[in-house]
Amino acid sequence: MGSLVQILVNGILLGSMYGIAAIGLSLIFGTMRIIFLAQGTMIVFFAYLTYWSFEKAGIDPYLSLFTVIPLAFVVGLGLFYLLFRKAAALEDKNVSLLLAVGLMYLIDNLILKIWGATPRGVNLSYSGAVLVIGDIRVPWLRFALLGLALASALVVYLFLKRTRVGTAVRAASEDMEATTLQGINSVWVCAISFAIGIALAGVAGVGMATVYSFDYQFGFIFAIKALVALALGGIGNVFGALAGGLLLGIIENLAAYYIGIAWIEVASYGVFMLVLIFLPQGLFGRRGLVKKV
Amino acid sequence: MSDQRIDDTDVKLLPDDGGRRRRKLIWAGLAALAVLFFATLPFYYDVHNGQFGVFFFNVFVYVIVAQGWNLVGGYTGQISLGQNAFFGVGAYTMALLWFNDVTKTGYYFDPVLMILAGVVPFILAVLVGVPLLSRLRGDYFAFGTLGMGMIVTVLFINGGMFTGGAEGRMLVPKMPEGAVFDLRTHYWVAFLVAVLATLVVYFMTTSRIGLALRAIREDEVSAASHGVNVLKYKVFAFAVGAFMAGVAGSIYGYYLLQVTPSNVLTSNWLFLPILMVVLGGTGTIMGPWLGAFLIYLISWYGDSYFAGYHPIISGVVIIAVMLFLPSGLMGLGKKMPGFGNRGRGSG
Repeated sequence: MGSLVQILVNGILLGSMYGIAAIGLSLIFGTMRIIFLAQGTMIVFFAYLTYWSFEKAGIDPYLSLFTVIPLAFVVGLGLFYLLFRKAAALEDKNVSLLLAVGLMYLIDNLILKIWGATPRGVNLSYSGAVLVIGDIRVPWLRFALLGLALASALVVYLFLKRTRVGTAVRAASEDMEATTLQGINSVWVCAISFAIGIALAGVAGVGMATVYSFDYQFGFIFAIKALVALALGGIGNVFGALAGGLLLGIIENLAAYYIGIAWIEVASYGVFMLVLIFLPQGLFGRRGLVKKV
Repeated sequence: MSDQRIDDTDVKLLPDDGGRRRRKLIWAGLAALAVLFFATLPFYYDVHNGQFGVFFFNVFVYVIVAQGWNLVGGYTGQISLGQNAFFGVGAYTMALLWFNDVTKTGYYFDPVLMILAGVVPFILAVLVGVPLLSRLRGDYFAFGTLGMGMIVTVLFINGGMFTGGAEGRMLVPKMPEGAVFDLRTHYWVAFLVAVLATLVVYFMTTSRIGLALRAIREDEVSAASHGVNVLKYKVFAFAVGAFMAGVAGSIYGYYLLQVTPSNVLTSNWLFLPILMVVLGGTGTIMGPWLGAFLIYLISWYGDSYFAGYHPIISGVVIIAVMLFLPSGLMGLGKKMPGFGNRGRGSG
């Protein structure tokens, strides 16, 4: 029993990373209607930045959140206006998809050239600190990841519900054409949601740097995991995306324990296919959205 | 007098049939010349030792995969992200049947195995395509095919004794006695299949099937309301595309003679064909050829002049093409008569 609880807890903590990434994907998908496959690569890139600032300047990863998030936001805006502005307006989604793939190739291999192929990780003085409840052991740092995920979900949720720009983003995810007719600048809405998506990649990158070791090839797989989490939770719902991520983490940990490490991927992609086929709106998504797409 | 004037306007209203037929003839002539050139190239160029033999062989293999994707993504407008899975399944079908002596046929460039290498992905595409294409629309198809590709990759890596795991299957010891590894054979087979694939796409898309596929691309609901069986045509296009990728996989497997997940299931076989089609012009019959030549040329010279930086160059090329040529090369010539008159440049 104790081991099952431990698996569940580990799963939730692993899943919080997927959750953050999935929220970002969901925002980008909602307005621009593209699968931003480079999301994972952006996460790895910001993880490397965090690692670098820790190694070179000794900045604590959690302090670097305050520099990485604004930086990621600006990078997101820059990428959008440089690359995706025209493509987002096109009917042909292949262009945006391939732009994301090109970006992924480019950044993956820039990382390889700059930092090399050895996996990296940040070793903090308090990395070993563990929270013990009964016979369940949870490293504090992983616990902090869950906190990060919840905080980002809450911030994005409040942004979408309470601000004018957030309302515009929600409207654009419902119906881009009607939104434009209301006098809302669709380019700006796409830019904002894209930049927030990248800022979330920054958050996830910091989180990844503190807990996991990462290398340049990690991005693609991670982007697909985030996509699985998104499909599981349902598009168009911030907390749904987060819950999808947590659920995916649990599924992976259960599969690793009961079937074997090698079969983790089969389990998560299998669930992905089943969800897409039998439950296309996801567990917490709204029905209308899928029909309209 | 007045009759004469009416006649004049009539001529203008009608499509310029003579001109179109003439253009068609010119194109057919050019295509025949190109086919003749490539088919006879091995007679006056040493394909086996010269570097252009390998170059063109790879281009042809990419053309086959790209034509398959063109049918699904270009003409039908369904973005499939599973082309690498079909390529890999085709290569593995050939390799495992050969390795285990299942069909007891000739085995080196064995047509039976090559057709089976297309049939297995065809069946897989129908199995995956029916649920994915009937219940979902648009982007979810892309998600689903991407997931399928990942599952197939992991299954082959975890296949243990059956697939040989990460090392795959070594086919060199299985070469029949007297069979010589000569790139000329590879060159001709790949070229023949590439031309066949192009012809299949051409005849499918100029027939009633093509009309249905394009109707689906433009507006699915409207196509359905005009009596097009949307699901049937979408699945058919998807499965034929999978067939082509599978055959291409088997040809590439005969070239590698060692089929592993890392060389036949990589995302290169997924994204590069899409890039080739989009660069050439989505939904055009010659687009995949143009795109495959150019992209492979860039990566070929990128590899020899900027060794180690080649993936970065690919990334830059993909981004540059998408920024400056989003409707492809065939879309460039749209204003010129006779160019790119098959479907729209940007699907």
